[in-house]
Amino acid sequence: MLSPRWRKVARDLSSHRFRTALVAVSIAIGIFAVGVVMGGREILVREFDTDYANAATPGATYYTGPIDDAVVRRAVAHPDIAEAEGRHEVTLRYRWRGSAAPATLSIVAMRDYEHVTVQKLVPQDVTHWPLRRGEIALEGSALQVADYRIGDMLEVETADGARVSLTVAGFVHDINAVPAQFTGTETGFVAFETLADLDEPEFFNRLVITFEDAEMTREEASKLAADIRADVLETRGVTVYGTSVPEPGSHFLGDIFKAVSLLLLALGVLSLGLSGFLVVNTVSALMAQQVRQVGIMKAVGGRAGQIARMYLATVAAYGVLAVIIGLPTAAYAGRQFTVFAAGILNFRVSSYTPPAWVIALEVAVGLVVPLLAAIVPVRMGARMSVVRALNATGMSATSFGHGLGDRLLGLMRGLPRPVALSIRNTFLRKGRLFLTLATLTLASAVVMSVVSVQASINRTITNLESWWNYDAQLILGQPTDALALEREVTGMSGVAATETWSGHPAVYVRADGTENESLQIIGLPHDTTFVRPRLIAGRWLEAGDTDAVVINTDVNNDEPSIALGQRFTLDVMGEERTWRVVGVVSGQLSGAVIYADRDSLGDIVGDPGVNRVLVRTHEHAPGAQQAAMEAAEEALDAAGYQVVSTRTQSGLSGTIAEQLGILVTFLVIMAVLLAAVGVIGLTGTMTLNVLESTREIGVMRAIGAQHRSIYQIFMSEGLVVGVMSWGLGALASYPMSWLLTDALAGATGIPLAYEYSWPGVGVTLAVMVFVSAMASVLPAFRASQVSVRDAIAYE
Amino acid sequence: MNDTPNNTPLLRLRDVVKVYDTGDVPFTALRDIDLDVYTGEFVGIIGKSGSGKTTLINMITGIDHPTGGEVVIDGTPVHRLNENQLARWRGRTIGVVFQFFQLLPTLTVMENVILPMDFCSMYLPKERVERAMDLLEQVELADQAHKLPAALSGGQQQRAAIARALANDPPILAADEPTGNLDSKTADAVFGLFERLVEQHKTIIMVTHDNDLASRVRRALHVADGVIVQEHVHRPRHGA
Repeated sequence: MLSPRWRKVARDLSSHRFRTALVAVSIAIGIFAVGVVMGGREILVREFDTDYANAATPGATYYTGPIDDAVVRRAVAHPDIAEAEGRHEVTLRYRWRGSAAPATLSIVAMRDYEHVTVQKLVPQDVTHWPLRRGEIALEGSALQVADYRIGDMLEVETADGARVSLTVAGFVHDINAVPAQFTGTETGFVAFETLADLDEPEFFNRLVITFEDAEMTREEASKLAADIRADVLETRGVTVYGTSVPEPGSHFLGDIFKAVSLLLLALGVLSLGLSGFLVVNTVSALMAQQVRQVGIMKAVGGRAGQIARMYLATVAAYGVLAVIIGLPTAAYAGRQFTVFAAGILNFRVSSYTPPAWVIALEVAVGLVVPLLAAIVPVRMGARMSVVRALNATGMSATSFGHGLGDRLLGLMRGLPRPVALSIRNTFLRKGRLFLTLATLTLASAVVMSVVSVQASINRTITNLESWWNYDAQLILGQPTDALALEREVTGMSGVAATETWSGHPAVYVRADGTENESLQIIGLPHDTTFVRPRLIAGRWLEAGDTDAVVINTDVNNDEPSIALGQRFTLDVMGEERTWRVVGVVSGQLSGAVIYADRDSLGDIVGDPGVNRVLVRTHEHAPGAQQAAMEAAEEALDAAGYQVVSTRTQSGLSGTIAEQLGILVTFLVIMAVLLAAVGVIGLTGTMTLNVLESTREIGVMRAIGAQHRSIYQIFMSEGLVVGVMSWGLGALASYPMSWLLTDALAGATGIPLAYEYSWPGVGVTLAVMVFVSAMASVLPAFRASQVSVRDAIAYE
Repeated sequence: MNDTPNNTPLLRLRDVVKVYDTGDVPFTALRDIDLDVYTGEFVGIIGKSGSGKTTLINMITGIDHPTGGEVVIDGTPVHRLNENQLARWRGRTIGVVFQFFQLLPTLTVMENVILPMDFCSMYLPKERVERAMDLLEQVELADQAHKLPAALSGGQQQRAAIARALANDPPILAADEPTGNLDSKTADAVFGLFERLVEQHKTIIMVTHDNDLASRVRRALHVADGVIVQEHVHRPRHGA
């Protein structure tokens, strides 16, 4: 038979269902947060690494003229090359389900899909594999931007303007493909024979290789890639337009991934700490509520150790309940979170099982943390002298009125009595107030910081939009005459002005002979009004500048030797020329760009033609930009120009916002979790304040307080805590948001313009008032229902 | 001075002083109390509110510690015991009855009675149930044994509290205003129960401000301003 003291433990748990649920949910929130965040992070890192490691990411990609199997075989035989493959890649326009506006599709053709050795593909959902002629398999990230279905027809426009239908045979995964949601360009794979249908020549124009030595630095890899280029390609007369050598072992979204991972780690640690706070708070309050019963038990012979064991058992029971609630919900949410993150970051998850240590940590959070948190309050409660415990009436059990702060509160005059009472009651239990405030302050500071980070992103995008003084851009496959091109678009409905530019990949030849091929040179009229350059140093282009260029900060970041006043050698379309840096402008999130006078650039590359049309519209709304762009593309198509890609400024802004938005999404998740912990904490605090104040309530009721008055007092108490947390959070949010913005800029490599969001501070006040009201409404209602008789009989 | 059943006092207080630190000026609740109580006595402590009578009984039960002086009960120097030693000693030596009954609300009446035996490891587990039932029969609550305290009237709760106080068969029963929260008829019944316990050689010390009840105890100590100012010894109505 269970002894009475253990029955008391059981009955306390079962008879105070609301309290039991509240405490168990409080602890479960901690388990949930730790499980989702730590588990999610571990699964993400593990699956991402596995997926990436299995993908045989190219060590180098060569963009070439025609190459055949013999060149590929020669590459495979090279001692420094582990694997090599040839591919044909082409960017074409296409329509889907009869859409009016064409979109851009990057098509990759491989000879043998069953034996891919470099940049491996994983068929995810395909009717059959390998592909047949006339079929296309879309890279899986396409599903993030549109609802493609197997069997859909894509109407692809060939370089000659003919339209060819390709059937969607399914979806494949390529971790090295840039996700469609980031570029607005889907990637599709076709059989080599399909190239003929697309009027494309059946040869390779890409060589992808993996190196034997996978441990090289980027500099070493670049140098080796240059040697291989000379040995394998150029000696065979193959024209190489460019070479791409990524950071070895680093995914192109690696920085964002690291930032997400870091955020998750910070969130996990924070959740762990806050759930500990919550548990300390709850257990302290539980002991405060039970103090009279502790007194009785001691009066009838209960020793401190026996009583402490009873309450520790109670806490352990809360922990077990919390684990029962927390583990499965964390597992479910962790899976959803992983699916969400894997979709955004485009990687494949083969197992959603978190590592054993995460489950152990969750159990520890549920069982060990509450017990550790309970030790001090349980010990204090169990060791309280009988006389003190029995005399604890709520009114005399606190030490309010002695400290300086209490006296200052006592000096507050002119407030309505219930409001003054609420404010003073708030400070009655200072330890509990501190813990609740700490939780809610952190939550409100994070909410405000997240809003400020979003404001900083918005400001960065606004700055970019003010730099680009045009609405749409169309890029052609081949250079063409500027005047003829402008004539096609000028005067069209909705178009206010047009301008033409030329843009080419550029190769920087370093002093040691290695090359950087990630630069781009743009030729534009020196007196252009289509950009409003923000100069950081030097000057903009002027008439008569023949060898002068303006670089953006990304160029200088990539190649520190290219700086203001310096001369450097650039290879553009096979022509090497020395340029002089006359100005530096801020980066525009489009990579490293060098601006030169259009005519001078034309002279150097030996082709005065242009390949970009910029359109400024009368209306700048996204719809107007899109309409003007579509009309321009139609006109150019009709005139026989091959448009290879288009973009509106609103579309570009949206894409950039989406990239940065990934991080904001994770920050929002963080803020919501913290806010949830805060709300639960405040609800617990308010509930226990009400329980402890039962005698005061009885006294107030006895001297005439109505239900409404009592309700208002406790609602006000909750609101005072909420508003205080908001105020403290606002103070903390300025440095926090600055650090967060700076960290994001560092992690993503995107320079963000910091902006503190004052509207966010206002919105957070509204949120905190709402949250505090929600947390207080039930405890306040319970307080208002206490009868005088109940209050006097309260034990 | 005392009409005592034997020469060794069961309970002896010497120079007991209790001073409360109330912040600005210390408050002396008891001043140099000397008191001997012998086995089988029924002692009433009488006084006005704030006179120090509850403080005095708290010194005896070990619920509170004296600032100075000695409290020796059945040979145990209570003033030297720490909280844990006090709890075990109290559980076995003194049954405490409170004005507001102080039954644990989540335990049944029977479980409340068993609780002290459980804490002090007294009696075998199966004996505890039998003993609790015997005690409840003595206080005429056997039929209420499995009810929760909230289902009982005030008088029934106080009788249950007395049964709990007797759980470990302590030689002393200390009651602080045990009838203060009861109507006169119920108070009379509870007092009758105490009288029967005295007949069974229990020593009872009871705080009360009820002059009628005070006149019915064998020995009445009048306390004022922390001092025993007067003592009356009444002729026992039943042989002690």
